[in-house]
Amino acid sequence: MIRTVLADDEALARQRLRQLLKEIDDIDIVGECATALETIQLVNLTTPELLFLDISMPDMDAFDIFDVLTSDTTKLPQVIFVTANDKYAVRAFDINAIDYLLKPFTSERLHAAIQRARERLASRDEAPRGYPGEPEQERYTTRMVFKSRGRILFLAVEEIRWIEADENYVKLRVGEESHLLRKSIGALEKRLDPAMFVRVHRSSIVNLHHVKEVRSEADGDATVILMSGEQVPMSRSYRSRIQKLIKG
Amino acid sequence: MPFRARRARLLNAMRRESQNVPLFMKPAIFIGSSVLIGLLFAFQEWLSVRHMGYDPHTTMLFESWGYQFLVWGTLCWLLWRFLNQQVQRASILAMFSAFLPLSIVISLGLQMLYVLIFRNLPPDQPEPSFWKRFSIYAYAELLNNVLIFWCAFFLFRGIGYYQRYREQQEAKSELEIQLANAQLAALRMQLNPHFLFNAMNSISSLMRSDVDSADNMLEQLSCLMRMSLERGDSQLITLREEMEFIEVYLAMQGRRYAGRVRQSVRMDPELYDALVPSMLLQPIVENAYVHGISKTEASGVLAVESRRIGNQMRLTVMNSGVGLNSKPSKNSSGHGVGLRNIQRRLNLHYGAASSFGIAELDSGHVQVDIVLPLHFESKPILITRFGTR
Repeated sequence: MIRTVLADDEALARQRLRQLLKEIDDIDIVGECATALETIQLVNLTTPELLFLDISMPDMDAFDIFDVLTSDTTKLPQVIFVTANDKYAVRAFDINAIDYLLKPFTSERLHAAIQRARERLASRDEAPRGYPGEPEQERYTTRMVFKSRGRILFLAVEEIRWIEADENYVKLRVGEESHLLRKSIGALEKRLDPAMFVRVHRSSIVNLHHVKEVRSEADGDATVILMSGEQVPMSRSYRSRIQKLIKG
Repeated sequence: MPFRARRARLLNAMRRESQNVPLFMKPAIFIGSSVLIGLLFAFQEWLSVRHMGYDPHTTMLFESWGYQFLVWGTLCWLLWRFLNQQVQRASILAMFSAFLPLSIVISLGLQMLYVLIFRNLPPDQPEPSFWKRFSIYAYAELLNNVLIFWCAFFLFRGIGYYQRYREQQEAKSELEIQLANAQLAALRMQLNPHFLFNAMNSISSLMRSDVDSADNMLEQLSCLMRMSLERGDSQLITLREEMEFIEVYLAMQGRRYAGRVRQSVRMDPELYDALVPSMLLQPIVENAYVHGISKTEASGVLAVESRRIGNQMRLTVMNSGVGLNSKPSKNSSGHGVGLRNIQRRLNLHYGAASSFGIAELDSGHVQVDIVLPLHFESKPILITRFGTR
């Protein structure tokens, strides 16, 4: 069970969260609060694992709550920010929050956020390192934050199936959607772990975790077939790379 | 064409042309002023001769000066009338190589004419030969005459500059008014109230039957509003932003029509950063739903496509549904208004360089076609939305 605290100054907002969380079996709501001070007290008292935190509390900035909490306790809750305002997303990302939910959010979105929380909590138990609030120092990008179609996404890179270059943009294929980002595919390639992401074509990068097989074509080129059924063309010059990785 | 009609046409053309001429340059006024200057010179000479005690030969004096300046006035006016373009555009080289010789030739020519007509001048002298008289006058008056030519030349240049300045000012204030109107119109367009109310109505009805769908639609609506807010006051946004808006909008509409509609949005990647007027496509897509797809029971299709054609962009919205020829239904208010607004905005932005058309493809399919000149985002695109860890 994941012990959870809901912090929001609006009663209706808390009510909605409560109703939606009722459907999730492993969430156990241990407390609710309406001000920043109450939040601090409640967190200290109950030491929850997960905290849903509204950013605009009347008495204190939500990020300031964190400064206070960090100095007080050793076991901090993972945070999912819940807010109507989109402008704090990058800041939330920087303090390693699990997710950033824009009100009004759908129950599916909430479920996705909680799944991320589960994964984070599980990996923390295995190899506890870094508190929430402390940026992980990774050589390669593991998470990205960006805005797409009016939504904020905290994207774990392993969720990306493949990346396609389109003029000045790259198209990230994630889940049911694709997201356009203004970046060059070369720059992105440098930031991604080559053990997971392989450049197979001048304009494509695939995520090995999503690759089903590589099929050779008659003319010497090949096609990478993903588990989703998508087919990504692979050019000869890049072929050797992926062969090595699949074999190894 | 009968003579009378031709004459009427010519007179109309002349009347229109004369309206563009500044008051000062109207022939009567210009030449009249010129003659007046001449008479003033005559008066000055009359006074000085009188003062010196000589007989000024008043009539002849005033006549000769008057005629001289009449001729000059006419010549200069003709210069304006027929050679104004060349006067305005003359470079230093042209002034030296073309206009300077011209001025000398005209001056000498006029001198000859003058001497031919006024045999009695200079007064108080025995009548010498033509060339003798000519040489006296040429010697005395050539520089004056050439100077008069160049005075007129630069006067016309000055008038030209002034005219162009006035035109620029007028164009500028016209543009300011147009821009203000466009801004007002665009502001009205940004969060098109109709579309908001329709969406809220759908949500309200879904609330009782399918809460999850109502929730989803609410979230989609808020996405649309966020995207709208992000654009702010911009008149023009990138095609990518506009298309992403349409994608969410279509997802929302698709849900309202319970998946009856096959939708597709296709965009030429070259056009991602091309600029289009903000909220250009939403009214067209809404129209396609309200007047096309909603009127049929069968499954429908709606395709939005953008393609590059040379240095133009072509946007098309194709939908199935009732054809154009069918009678408009009772609540077709707002049908023409939305599309007319788009046409007006296209006109304000691009004028004749854009086009807007609605055509019926075959029975049951309608296509809206917009062609725009291709302009790209000039300022660097902020990558503030992207953070990594």
